[in-house]
Amino acid sequence: MIPFFIPDLLLLLLPFVLITTRLFISKRSQLPWYMAHIGLITIFILLNFIPVGETQFFLSNWKIDSFGILMRELLVLSALIGISFSKEYFNYTSDFMPRMHHFSEFMGAIIMATFGGVVVVSASDLLTFFLGLELATIPMYALTAWNKKDSLGSEAATKFILMGSVATAFEIFGFSYLYGFSGSMHFQEIAVRVLENPNSPLLWISVLFLLSGIGFKLTLFPFHTWAPDVYEGAPTPVTAILSVSSKAIAISFVAVLVFGPLHGIKEQMAPFLGLLAGITLFIGNLGALKQYKLRRFMAYSSISQAGYVLLALLGPRETAGAAIIYYLFIYAFSNYLAFFIFGIIERNRPETFNSLRGLSRENPFLAVALVIALFSLAGIPPLAGFFGKFQLFFSAAQNHHYFLITFAILNNVLALYYYIQLIKSAWVDEPDPSLFRLIVNLRQKVWIVLLSVAIVLGGVLPFFINNVFKIITY
Amino acid sequence: MIDVILFNLIWVLPLLVMLICTPIPNTYTRAIKRIHLSSAIIVLGIAAYLTLKLFLLTSGVSPSSNGSVFSLHFVTQVSWWNAFGAQYFIGADALSLLMVLLTSVIVLTGMLVSWSIPGNAKIFFALIQILATSVYGVFMSFDLLLFFIFYEMEAICMYLMIAGFGSGKKDYGGKKLTLTLALGSSMILAAFLGIYVESGINSWNLLELGQVVFPMSLQMWAFPLLFMGFAVSGSLFPFHFWSPDGHSAAPTAVSMFAAGVMMKMGPYACLRIAIYLMPEAARIYLPYLVYLLIFNVLLSGWIAIRHKDLKYITAYSSISHLGLIFLGIAAMTPLAFRGAVLQMLSHGFLTALFFATIGMIYSRTHTRDITQMGGLMRVMPFIGVGFVIAGFACLGLPGLSGFIAEATIFIGSFQNESSLMRVVTILAVLSITVTAIYVLQAANRMLHGPVSPNSFYSLPDANFKEKVTIVILVFSLFAIGLFPNWISEFIDTSISPIYTNLIR
Repeated sequence: MIPFFIPDLLLLLLPFVLITTRLFISKRSQLPWYMAHIGLITIFILLNFIPVGETQFFLSNWKIDSFGILMRELLVLSALIGISFSKEYFNYTSDFMPRMHHFSEFMGAIIMATFGGVVVVSASDLLTFFLGLELATIPMYALTAWNKKDSLGSEAATKFILMGSVATAFEIFGFSYLYGFSGSMHFQEIAVRVLENPNSPLLWISVLFLLSGIGFKLTLFPFHTWAPDVYEGAPTPVTAILSVSSKAIAISFVAVLVFGPLHGIKEQMAPFLGLLAGITLFIGNLGALKQYKLRRFMAYSSISQAGYVLLALLGPRETAGAAIIYYLFIYAFSNYLAFFIFGIIERNRPETFNSLRGLSRENPFLAVALVIALFSLAGIPPLAGFFGKFQLFFSAAQNHHYFLITFAILNNVLALYYYIQLIKSAWVDEPDPSLFRLIVNLRQKVWIVLLSVAIVLGGVLPFFINNVFKIITY
Repeated sequence: MIDVILFNLIWVLPLLVMLICTPIPNTYTRAIKRIHLSSAIIVLGIAAYLTLKLFLLTSGVSPSSNGSVFSLHFVTQVSWWNAFGAQYFIGADALSLLMVLLTSVIVLTGMLVSWSIPGNAKIFFALIQILATSVYGVFMSFDLLLFFIFYEMEAICMYLMIAGFGSGKKDYGGKKLTLTLALGSSMILAAFLGIYVESGINSWNLLELGQVVFPMSLQMWAFPLLFMGFAVSGSLFPFHFWSPDGHSAAPTAVSMFAAGVMMKMGPYACLRIAIYLMPEAARIYLPYLVYLLIFNVLLSGWIAIRHKDLKYITAYSSISHLGLIFLGIAAMTPLAFRGAVLQMLSHGFLTALFFATIGMIYSRTHTRDITQMGGLMRVMPFIGVGFVIAGFACLGLPGLSGFIAEATIFIGSFQNESSLMRVVTILAVLSITVTAIYVLQAANRMLHGPVSPNSFYSLPDANFKEKVTIVILVFSLFAIGLFPNWISEFIDTSISPIYTNLIR
């Protein structure tokens, strides 16, 4: 058993170590990349040794609970896969994929954003909370524009910064009203005040602004329009990290708020959250129907996924926490798997559905992995994505939101339509001989196999864990 | 003990064989096909053995002795997701074993007819095995979550097979089929969640849930959702539209599978789950079902008369005959339920025979338009006779299975005393005439008269594998048709709990 602050501290130090190391080694050295891997894997392993149980406090504004630890594991894992994924983009150059530079700083920024997520899930007062969210967002602005010569990337970053700053302003405003209403920064005291006076207009103005602010980052309905442009303009590894880590941080921000300081008015908030979730997943699904560019498509798909995650918050704390964590893990696996495949394809092909034509003949391995990733995102059993979505619905069903659940589940059919569209390109269409051949290296193969196995077994695993002794003694 | 392992093997074996065959390179396609075929034969053997065993076990027991709980055999029940009480719970009673037997016959014959399928046969056979696994799972599982997983798996598999190996508008047909079925399963999942939460027993176990009396507030919205969700795969009117396009685009084996087995999953689950769990709502809603059936039974028969494409004719004929199954369900008498189950089995075999012979004809003539061919009986008598026997079974000729099933349904539903039900039953009897028109018209134009394009003179008759296919299916049709008594009593053992629950 180790003290709970060790992994956090290591995570904070790692970016500085990486950036400093680069000053002393040659430009071509891959040392920082290996160091980042070793560091993140160590942190991930250490996280598993933190005693889970009672909520512990540190200086009254830093708390550790099982939700926080699992979110840390998710974020670290996501950073690890993201860093491993981005290596191609710094080593090669092609017509479709200009080479990027300053890998150490790139990795440092990713890990910094991850640390921001850690702060969000650990915070127990408003100031720390806000700090964490900003720490998680600001590196993403820089990462979006990492490819300086790409005009689309710069455009995306500009949009992202402008929108993000407005969102931040909304949040600060919401926080200030929340402080003015309760007279305290600390979550527990705010929660007490909220219970005492749940109908105060001051409180509801603050809730409105907080939800709008986080709506930008979580790409909820009226605030989702930046996502497709930014996802398309940013370098692919950044898109992947945006769609996994940033989403995870934003949803845990909402979860911490809803189950922490605002728990007293959760029942009154439920219709708004439900409406937001329903509209968001519907709009995301509608938007994805007519896309033909891979990353724009993934943007809309992730907008609708955000709507689905929000459903879980309608349930009681225990099921919602479990559902969100499980779903985010599986979502991270499926999304990264899809992005690995898209990364291989866009290395020397244009980034559209057409580039997938005939994939099943050219490279059945990738085609099968693509089917697994997309069906998992669509929530088709027996893949883990189904169990993820099922838990979200299950959580919402605990509080009898049947109408909303039925709406969300029916929407799944829409989602299935556009995921099948991609699968059709890969499995049914004839190969296009003018396309360049695909190059898959060993590291990509290993990750694709690992992620696919995780997705396939994710739902079945509890069966084996429960019954391993029975099977042995049978 | 050994029976339980054999029973589990029914759905595990296809999956295992599929996994074993995956790493074998494509150059050994012949060997791969043989492995798949032998696994299908083994599963058929297991299913037949277990059915016989269960038949001998239950033959002396009077059907009313087990109350409203299904008497399950070969049960495996272990925990799976403790967090929400899901279990791996499979077992069998007469109904599910008969459906498993039907499935295994159709898997075997489906493999035989797609022996020389163009394209990557390894992937096609692997997909057949996944499809088989999921359908076996549907009929075997008595845990709702497990049931749902298998149910949805099967719809997805269908798309890959139709879009990858079909003919004509294959992508369109495949998408239409899969998305409509997915719509159905979405409705089912929503209703299942409501059932689970309102039951308050943290279990998805069908037998335990069957003892819970659900509040009417739940039943009034969950029953229609659940029933219609299942009825989508039974192609009940307004959700029948996937079936003609899906069937006509699919490769032969998939058409056989879809029409023979998959469309039976809907009525099977309506009986087993929807009516069993929510009998109070069933008593309210089922009388209204007959309005939808008028389209299913009569109008789709008329549509079939006007069609020239063999697969469209058969697809609309399937919709019409599935309507008879739902008529039996809507009548809510034990005899009508028995007739519905008999019709599921009978129609499963006969429509598989239809699609198999159509596939054989199409692979030789490269057309399915009945006006483009004639005199085929002279060049391919074996296939022609197979088609005619399927047609006779379809129009209810005594001696074949169709007569037994349809007569039981008509008598059973006439026992229902509501006058609306009786009027609809009389109308439904007319469907036999309609069936006779389109079956005989198709057979007449296609099989008799002079051999019309002269190039058809050189076409070969059925080869050995095709002959085996036709013989197996024809044998099954006669087996039900000539010895209906044993199978009827066998079916009654699993119908009576549903009926007991319905009148509680």
